[in-house]
Amino acid sequence: MATNLNKFVIRTLACFTLWALFSYSAVAQDPDSVVAVDSLLLELQRDLGALTPSLPRQNTSRARPATNPDISVIGDIRALIFSEGERNFDFELHEVETAFKSVIDPFARAEIYIAAHNEDGDIEFELEEAYLTTLALPHQLQLKAGKFRSNVGKINRIHPHALPFPDIPLVYENYFGLEGLNDQGVGLSWLIPNSSFYQEVSLEITRGPHHSPSFDVAGNNRFLYTTHLKNFWDLSADATLELGVSGLSGPNQRGMTSFLGGADLTYKWKPVRFNTYQSFTAQMEVFLSKMETNDDDISTWGFYALASYQFAGRWFFTGRFDHSDLPDDPDWNENGFSATLTWYVTEFQKIEFGIRRRWSEHFDSMYTGVVRAVFVMGTHGAHEY
Amino acid sequence: MIRRGLTGCIILTLFLLVPSRAAAQDKLRIVTTLPDLAYLADEIGGDLVETFSIATGYQNPHFVDPKPSYILKLTRADMFITIGLDLELGWVPALLNSARNSRIQPGGEGYVDASIDVPLLEVPTRVSREEGDIHIFGNPHYWLDPDRVQIVARNITKALNRLLPANKSQFDENLEHFSTRLDSLYVEWKERMEPYRGAHIVAYHNQWPYFEEAFGLDIADFLEPKPGIPPTPSQLALIIRHMQQDNLKVLIIAPYYKQDAANLVVSRVNGVVVPLASSVGAYDGIDTVFDLFDYNVELMVNAFESATE
Repeated sequence: MATNLNKFVIRTLACFTLWALFSYSAVAQDPDSVVAVDSLLLELQRDLGALTPSLPRQNTSRARPATNPDISVIGDIRALIFSEGERNFDFELHEVETAFKSVIDPFARAEIYIAAHNEDGDIEFELEEAYLTTLALPHQLQLKAGKFRSNVGKINRIHPHALPFPDIPLVYENYFGLEGLNDQGVGLSWLIPNSSFYQEVSLEITRGPHHSPSFDVAGNNRFLYTTHLKNFWDLSADATLELGVSGLSGPNQRGMTSFLGGADLTYKWKPVRFNTYQSFTAQMEVFLSKMETNDDDISTWGFYALASYQFAGRWFFTGRFDHSDLPDDPDWNENGFSATLTWYVTEFQKIEFGIRRRWSEHFDSMYTGVVRAVFVMGTHGAHEY
Repeated sequence: MIRRGLTGCIILTLFLLVPSRAAAQDKLRIVTTLPDLAYLADEIGGDLVETFSIATGYQNPHFVDPKPSYILKLTRADMFITIGLDLELGWVPALLNSARNSRIQPGGEGYVDASIDVPLLEVPTRVSREEGDIHIFGNPHYWLDPDRVQIVARNITKALNRLLPANKSQFDENLEHFSTRLDSLYVEWKERMEPYRGAHIVAYHNQWPYFEEAFGLDIADFLEPKPGIPPTPSQLALIIRHMQQDNLKVLIIAPYYKQDAANLVVSRVNGVVVPLASSVGAYDGIDTVFDLFDYNVELMVNAFESATE
């Protein structure tokens, strides 16, 4: 007991000494002086000034009343037709998402997304995302906390209504679930000080998702770790290339650990001058999974590749090929092909016509046809590039 | 456990001690949304500033992609100048949110809304998207009037004086120089346009009310049935009839709109399409605000002359 107490005291003292030492080295840039106290004080004041973001000045801009959050509502309404089943035609209020966004203070911003979903005909409410993001951390760091879509791959963070197709790729469905990987925890991202091209690395630690096929919540202190490295290049004024690498590790349903590695590649072309008339995107993502079990480890994989062409001011055509295993079944695999025609009535409304074939050696080909209308009320937030 | 925590503590502290920016900083880094603002900041800031404009002069300023490469520029910026009034609503918030730079956030020291004190036109009394892409504060294309450019230049000078108070006299002098030159040239431009005062013209998109006011023109109709909605065949038919009835010959259009519809219309009324410059850098050789107005006045005068022949 006494030795334990001793150890505790020594460690505490050591901690304090180190802390004092670092604080001192951080502040005292001119250590040889009692004389320099005045200049030190000035320096300190200046440094403090630099650290504290200046408070909003009056009349800095014409803006909406800033105490109210920006509110938007996005609706996604569908009509569906299937090749199988007794009832093979249906209507669906797929989702109504209400978003609240606001700056909280000079140091943080918050976003909350509440979604009403259709679950087998019943409308259910869900808190889709709710998180705080810092605005003023030093060293180009940004911290995020709450419930959010994980920063993995290219499309996981994009809300479904903003995707250029009504169905998500099979590899996302099979490895992360129909709504993608979305979990509660914290994330830190760092903009790497590289002046030649954009590089951002992020690390997220989350509790473990409930509905994900790959991961699960553990009964002990094991968490889901997600990392992502994003590289971005301007190939020319009109074209860009993005290469992302993702890594995930976390507890699975078998009480063991699952690992996922992913890569995503996106090429975008859009002329600068007639920037609203034509554009082209090619994108692919691949995920490799290793699931530990009590027997042998299960290694599986999946990918999708898509091309999207804007052939007129308000018209897009998107084709996508999917191939995917299941994370816990090495013998299962399936393929998908989907084609989507999108018409932007205005910036605030789009109508999509989609058809999808899903096939495998394990079942007969299935076809689904979808018409969906997506509309935006309120402030239309910009989408991530 | 404690030891691990301690190591973490040390690493974190060391990391925070690394200076984030090089100590010796030469020029004030200014990022602007439009090239017109970059030109003004250059003109007033002189050697003490380094500017970068996100949009080009021939790009539709409503629809700029928030590319991550712009985030790199904003992360290091000391000042950010925006046209404001929601002109850049589709891309500036996304960029600023990711910039990790509190100096240039709204309310920060380096955030400059160029529209402060600019008197606005077309401030709506009723806001509804039934009217298309409308702007709740008023029409945001105010940089096409020399008098309003003067206000913008003063706003930028104020911001420079705030960030670099030691160089105030230099900035004030540069502003004075710019302002005098713009005033005297504006008189010349107005003289050249005087014979066409009150002339009725047609425009593609509703982006010229300030130009219209500054040079005494009267835009009678738009090809877009509502702002942001591309012309429909029925709208074009209406425009052709309107131009024929009122003998309108001149149709002005920005560089980022395709001219097919405009060409079709003027071919029916024996008129002329005038591709005005909507910003500095819109066409080759338009490198300054003076070039911009010179170019536009020249084009308008030529168009009216050819229309009266």
